[in-house]
Amino acid sequence: MTSPIRVVIAEDSAILRDGLSQLLVDRGFAVTNAVSEPEALKDSVEHDCPDVAIIDIRMPPTFTDEGLRAAIALRRTHPDLGILLFSQYIETRYAAELLAEGAAGIGYLLKDRVADVSEFVDALTRVASGGTALDPEVVTQLLGASRRLGTISVLSAREKDVLSLMAEGRSNVAIANELVISEGTVEKHVASIFTKFDLPASQSDHRRVLAVLRFLDS
Amino acid sequence: MPSRESHEIRAPIRVRPSKMMIVVSDELEARFKAIAHQVFRTPFTKRTWSELCYLVLGSALAGVCLAFVIITMAAGAVLAITFFGLAIVGLSLRGARGIGGFQRRLARGLIEEQIDEPDPFLPRPGFLGWLQSVLKDRPAWRAAAYLAVKVPLAVVGVLTAISIWFDAFTCLITPLGGGYQPKEFGLARGLFPPGYLSIGSPGWIHGLAIFLTGVLLFFAAPWAVRLIVLADRQLMRGLLGPDVVAVRTRSLEHARAQTVDASAAVLRRIERDLHDGTQAQLVTLAMRLGLAKEKLADPAHLDLAQVSQLVNDAHRGAKEAIVELRDLARGIHPPALDVGLEGALATLAARSTMPTELSFSVEERPTPAIETIAYFCLAELLANVAQHAHASWATISCTQHGRWLRLVVRDDGIGGAQLSKLGSSSSGLVGLTDRVSAVDGHLEIVSPPHGPTVVTVDLPLHA
Repeated sequence: MTSPIRVVIAEDSAILRDGLSQLLVDRGFAVTNAVSEPEALKDSVEHDCPDVAIIDIRMPPTFTDEGLRAAIALRRTHPDLGILLFSQYIETRYAAELLAEGAAGIGYLLKDRVADVSEFVDALTRVASGGTALDPEVVTQLLGASRRLGTISVLSAREKDVLSLMAEGRSNVAIANELVISEGTVEKHVASIFTKFDLPASQSDHRRVLAVLRFLDS
Repeated sequence: MPSRESHEIRAPIRVRPSKMMIVVSDELEARFKAIAHQVFRTPFTKRTWSELCYLVLGSALAGVCLAFVIITMAAGAVLAITFFGLAIVGLSLRGARGIGGFQRRLARGLIEEQIDEPDPFLPRPGFLGWLQSVLKDRPAWRAAAYLAVKVPLAVVGVLTAISIWFDAFTCLITPLGGGYQPKEFGLARGLFPPGYLSIGSPGWIHGLAIFLTGVLLFFAAPWAVRLIVLADRQLMRGLLGPDVVAVRTRSLEHARAQTVDASAAVLRRIERDLHDGTQAQLVTLAMRLGLAKEKLADPAHLDLAQVSQLVNDAHRGAKEAIVELRDLARGIHPPALDVGLEGALATLAARSTMPTELSFSVEERPTPAIETIAYFCLAELLANVAQHAHASWATISCTQHGRWLRLVVRDDGIGGAQLSKLGSSSSGLVGLTDRVSAVDGHLEIVSPPHGPTVVTVDLPLHA
């Protein structure tokens, strides 16, 4: 049996912090620490070397974007640490800032997503193992605000579904399960999207996310 | 014994009137001396000469400035059919504003008259914006009006001042030089025609009269100048300072800014309360239910006790969220106010932690905004009494005085309350003072050390 994924939680709401710890332990994670502010998070990461950190964006002292600042700082000092930002609302600028230094081991989810426990656990596992998990809301906002609407409109409806899931950081297998199609069909759609966007095909999931996001954001 | 008594009684009666007379004459003498001293000293003070200097210099400059304004205005008016004309009028008004500033500096420098600056000129962007702003620039129009009134005053003033001073010196010098007749300019020549006092041959009496007139004029001249300058001072205070409308506007703008800030702060607080409280509760609730749902979907490994615990926790969380939401909603608008101010204040008094008595006599119902402010004032004041005053009782009185609502909160606590230290939170009493002053109300705290503390809030009935 593989050792459990080690998680540190930084969330200032005590109710949510406790609930989240319970859920993760129930799902076989090891919660190394649950803290309520950025400094304690930093110490905890130094001390326990967790695999992944779940970080609330709004934390003391100013309750604005302390979590994001802490995440970016941790990214520099601990490049191997997976970071899952956790927030009540999605701010595309935060996603862009976080993804500026690569998409490997990065997640950004609405807090509501914990209601679908399995999907949440899935996203956390992906981030912990160096993948990407972006909230569908982030992808929707990016697609909506993209100046490449002309290019996006040449995609078929199915290809758009695949694009959204790909931008969330899902693997081909996950996309195939979600859309109830074969893996081969997914591969075909992905190849078609990359051709239409004139992007070099990329094997690794998180490189693929970044390529798509950069394309949408540019 | 009787004789001594009578002596004791009589003595003060006799002494007092004479003492009083002495005192009165002393006072009179002192006052007379002071006046005489001032009259004799005045021609030799700096103020006298700087006022004369201001009168002559300021008047000459005012004349030049008025000419500039009139000529440019006239040119603008002639060209007003074209766009160019309005621009010239605009430039003329900018000039008038500048002149106003120059006049203020001159007055400050020479006669120590401190006139506050009017509001700065803040044109709206773009040429059209500038033109509209400058044509509606009240300080500029008022400066132009000042020049228009000042110049006639200055003509009369300068002529009077020069003639009096000239006469004073002529009358003083003429007899000394052996002449009997003031020469040239001024009133003195009219006063003293040849042979007025000594028919045929003007003699030494005539000369002496002229000299004494000179002395009189010499001491009177500063006061004439002072009177003219006083008129100018009044004119400047009226037209070159910030006008009443502008001062009122500024205080209203200040109040509006505070109100906007305060309501933004309230919204931020509500958002934070929702974010930290209710939203977190609901997310946790959804998470527990989600976990329970997934467990129930897998009957093979079902642990009923575990699921039951999850549902219990979720149930408790839902109830807590309901309470939090209710408290939050009450903080936004107290439902008690829908019943009326008396009922709402009575609810607050009843909820207070110490015995609290309310007396209420308001015939006319205030507007909702005033009721809300009165309600939150009382809530904050009572919270403050409960937290800091160590009081055993409090009384509240809410009364109507004409168009005003007066709310008075007294307690028998330790006193020493200060505005800066009051308030249960940052949005506490200081915030309330802002809200009270935003509707032109007043908040007053009387709180000596060892108490009692009396806080009086006056609010207009209709905001």
